[in-house]
Amino acid sequence: MFEYLIFFTFAAIAVIFAAIVVIHRNPVVSALALVVSFFSLAVMYVLLDAPFMAALQVIVYAGAIMVLFLFVIMLLNLAHTEEPITRPIQQFLGITGAAGFAITIIYYLLKAAVLHTGGPVEFVSDARAIGVSMFEAYIFPFEAVSILLLAAIVGALILSQRTSAIPGAKENGSR
Amino acid sequence: MIPTTWFLILGAILFSLGVLGVLTRRNGITIFMSIELMVNAVNLTFIAYARELGSLHGLMWVFFIMAVAAAEAAVGLAIFIALYRHRETIDVDEANLMHW
Repeated sequence: MFEYLIFFTFAAIAVIFAAIVVIHRNPVVSALALVVSFFSLAVMYVLLDAPFMAALQVIVYAGAIMVLFLFVIMLLNLAHTEEPITRPIQQFLGITGAAGFAITIIYYLLKAAVLHTGGPVEFVSDARAIGVSMFEAYIFPFEAVSILLLAAIVGALILSQRTSAIPGAKENGSR
Repeated sequence: MIPTTWFLILGAILFSLGVLGVLTRRNGITIFMSIELMVNAVNLTFIAYARELGSLHGLMWVFFIMAVAAAEAAVGLAIFIALYRHRETIDVDEANLMHW
């Protein structure tokens, strides 16, 4: 009973703040609302017997990625950018498309799409089990992800510097 | 024990909100945050199914999705900084060099 109370409270928080992310005009407010939404998703992970993933959600998403977003928003001073309503037909089509997508997917979820495996089974997902799985079965994807992150660092540096790092390339960042 | 379907429905609602943001907003950073919202909805679905099936594979997927989302955020935000330097805006309608 208590579990259901927590679920509905934090599901409502997640959905409301996700709506604020999408609707609000100020990107700073959007980013902070997204942090709240991520925190309530971490609560969902705890309810799903995955406390390690909840910790990762808070540290990696709410801690690192959203700080990066906020940093860029404040660096570019985007808090006061106006976004006038244009293209009403595209706006209408977007809202209709998203609503139709939501209704369709929820209809089929309620109807048939969930696997019926005879109820949730015993499920150990502490840090030890995840570590054993990661460094035995998933060692190759783990190494691949480390290379991906290195490539992302290099790419971010090259893209965001003022002058081109390529020798002889046309200087284009100083305009 | 809360049924898995409810978590899946919550994930579907969050994913649809992300779709709405990508389709209707023009601020590049907001579109990016909507994408993060969709990624998180998919993560929730993965973890819900991991518990339903009693398998750790779903959690491993969530771990790698988080790493890829971090890389994507770093590169994407760098692209927006470069776009801002050239155009003084991050309205995605203004980034129309390859349009048509």
